[in-house]
Amino acid sequence: MDYLHDVVVVGAGLSGLRVAIELADSFDVVVLTKVHPLRSHSVAAQGGINAALRPDDSWESHAFDTVKGSDYLADQDVVEVLARNAPLAVIENERWGTAFSRTPDGRIAQRPFGGAGFPRTCYAADRTGHNLLHTTYEQALRRGVHFYEEWFVTSLVRCGDRVCGVTALKIPTGQVHGIGARAVVIATGGFGRIYGNSTNALINTGDGAAVCLRTGVPLKDMEFVQFHPTTLYGSNILITEGARGEGGHLLNADGERFMQRYAPEKMELAPRDIVARAIRTEIIEGRGFEDGYVHLDLRHLGADRIKERLPGIREICIHFAGIDPIDEPIPVVPGQHYSMGGIDCNVRGETVLSGLYAVGETACMSVHGANRLGGNSLLETLVFGRVVGQAVGEYLKSASSPDSAAVDEQVFSERQRLQRILMRERGESPATIRKAMHRAMDEYAGVFRDAEGLTHAFREIGRLRERYQKVALGDSDERFNYALIRTLELGNMLDLAETIVLGALKREESRGAHWRTDFPARDDKRFLKHTLITKTAEGLKVTYKDVTLGRFEVKERTY
Amino acid sequence: MMFRVARSRKGGQVTHYDLYKVSAEKGMTVLDALFQIQDLMDPSLAFRYSCRGAVCGSCAMLINKVPMLACRTQILELPDLSVRLRPFSALENIPSGWDPKNEVLVEPLPNLPLLKDLVVDMEPFFKALRKMRLWVEPEEGDSPRSQSPEDRQRISRYVNCILCALCYGSCPVNAEHPEYVGPAALAKAWRFYNDTRVAEPERYLEAAKAPNGAPLCDLVMNCVRVCPKGVAPGGAIRKIKDLM
Repeated sequence: MDYLHDVVVVGAGLSGLRVAIELADSFDVVVLTKVHPLRSHSVAAQGGINAALRPDDSWESHAFDTVKGSDYLADQDVVEVLARNAPLAVIENERWGTAFSRTPDGRIAQRPFGGAGFPRTCYAADRTGHNLLHTTYEQALRRGVHFYEEWFVTSLVRCGDRVCGVTALKIPTGQVHGIGARAVVIATGGFGRIYGNSTNALINTGDGAAVCLRTGVPLKDMEFVQFHPTTLYGSNILITEGARGEGGHLLNADGERFMQRYAPEKMELAPRDIVARAIRTEIIEGRGFEDGYVHLDLRHLGADRIKERLPGIREICIHFAGIDPIDEPIPVVPGQHYSMGGIDCNVRGETVLSGLYAVGETACMSVHGANRLGGNSLLETLVFGRVVGQAVGEYLKSASSPDSAAVDEQVFSERQRLQRILMRERGESPATIRKAMHRAMDEYAGVFRDAEGLTHAFREIGRLRERYQKVALGDSDERFNYALIRTLELGNMLDLAETIVLGALKREESRGAHWRTDFPARDDKRFLKHTLITKTAEGLKVTYKDVTLGRFEVKERTY
Repeated sequence: MMFRVARSRKGGQVTHYDLYKVSAEKGMTVLDALFQIQDLMDPSLAFRYSCRGAVCGSCAMLINKVPMLACRTQILELPDLSVRLRPFSALENIPSGWDPKNEVLVEPLPNLPLLKDLVVDMEPFFKALRKMRLWVEPEEGDSPRSQSPEDRQRISRYVNCILCALCYGSCPVNAEHPEYVGPAALAKAWRFYNDTRVAEPERYLEAAKAPNGAPLCDLVMNCVRVCPKGVAPGGAIRKIKDLM
């Protein structure tokens, strides 16, 4: 065992940093991350963070919007923790220095967001994630949090029913090391890059969820993948919901504000699943522009408001699409955006293995259910980063030292596994397999799904996983071998892709972001349940678990 | 489209340049081209990346001798090479054989130790954040502080910094004085000094005025010209100097 710590946090986005900050004063905590913390995908979040700050708003109202938005699949006890602690999370970050946008009288400004009954989304222009991440990272530095930067996790070390560390590849040297720990927190973010068309950073490959799956930890609700309605046509770079929150209109090729046919009350500010389906329907039915996109029109907001509230969006449009939204509408299409599913855990981040925790987008507590509301993901990272940090702290009071022999053994086998990949001179090209995975997922596991397409995708992913066993990357250099990193990421994504498609195939209903054209209604009798997928010696096992209800009655969902 | 890419397997210095033929499409960026090379031609090429949307700051490099973000640079609209930067050796030394009309030249960001190919050691750049303690010392309290939109606007430019180090890599002073904290750190110090919510603003100004800080700046303003976010660190440094 090369290293030993109380806690290893894997991932240095907002969730991981917030956990580390909670623990740094009392424990030996290290944050292991494959990129510099500021390169984490939290930095790209644009629109904002929800909190009921005003006296005429309430955490109950925030909780209700979240539960309704989730199509009643969110666990209501978890939602309660999210909504109740939201003001505290925002205020804490404000006091750490985040430069929130302000109202004329100096309060934190809030804008309307999709699916919300009150304008409760706090923001820093359209760079909220950037501001929160930089501020939170500053506070981690202030507390002397220790980082293993550019280390790539390759496996979890399990000893019976507990976790005792991880193995990781140090990218600058190419060496695999064992890191023993009494507790491990997985905070590796989403896995959008399983899809070809995604808003996600290229690093969002679900490494933490994949190592959990391979260690026998169940994944939950993997079929629930959020497609953001407005991503830039071509590159799929995110165009924030804030653009619609500020008053932007969605128009089809006939110049019609088509949302009036899908969500007459909320219009453009219906939840994301509904708007994404509306746009896809417009395109499928021939009312899109030429190659298949619609317009997001901001022109009527005027130059001043666009420059003040949406400067980042304007910059993206200019640099990545060659248009200025002050003068021209933005061409947009739906694209993969967020993973509602993830590592099965409870409201404290606890998984089936003692000492193993999950938090943030990679976790599924479940706080977003079948569809996440905009502004709730940044919030989730900060609220549950703190909650999970506290839970880990309590656990550490009685947790014993990890079994170093188990760590050493696993380092040995991981070195062999990686060597085999590196030394294979001829074989399948990772780029070809990646492309085929993207095609299968975009085409058959997207906004609209059916049994035929999902069955096809399931077989295709299975074939790709076979081919992956013979992958050869053509570069055996040890230092900074990014071809190796990307090949390991591909393996992780293929494992997760299989669970997404399997979960989607088995869920014969339509709920939130999971829309089955062959089962277009919600079926609470059979599926008001979480899907659990566990890897066993006999293959993937699918089971279901009840949703925690209680506060809000399950109803039909209209906007 | 031809790409001439600096290579260095062991780091330290560029050992040679490799030439690749990239099939170019509209909308493609230099980062896309590097992935095409890694995926289809040469898996050994090392470079950093993450967001591909110009917000994470991973892919700062020298493109046709101008420090730029690879992900934000369209290959069919490469900027006019006459971006007027005050030259220093890394910007001036032209590799033999480069045909600027027909080849895109991609090299590591200057002024930072080279680790491999296009990957540089960012530690000297980030070290300044810790040394200058560029963070807020939070005070006890459970309510948000008030700040007027005008006061927020005063720091807006500086909070937009993504710490990509393009300014550091473009600065002739950084080229000559490795101890210089660089433009981004000074702009960040200025951001805290000017934040009306900060309790002890003087400490950031003092840190910026240290001998390895603002006094070393020659107001060359390369940092202002290369900044992808309009932070204009040089303007902040000028104001710091005015207070010295």
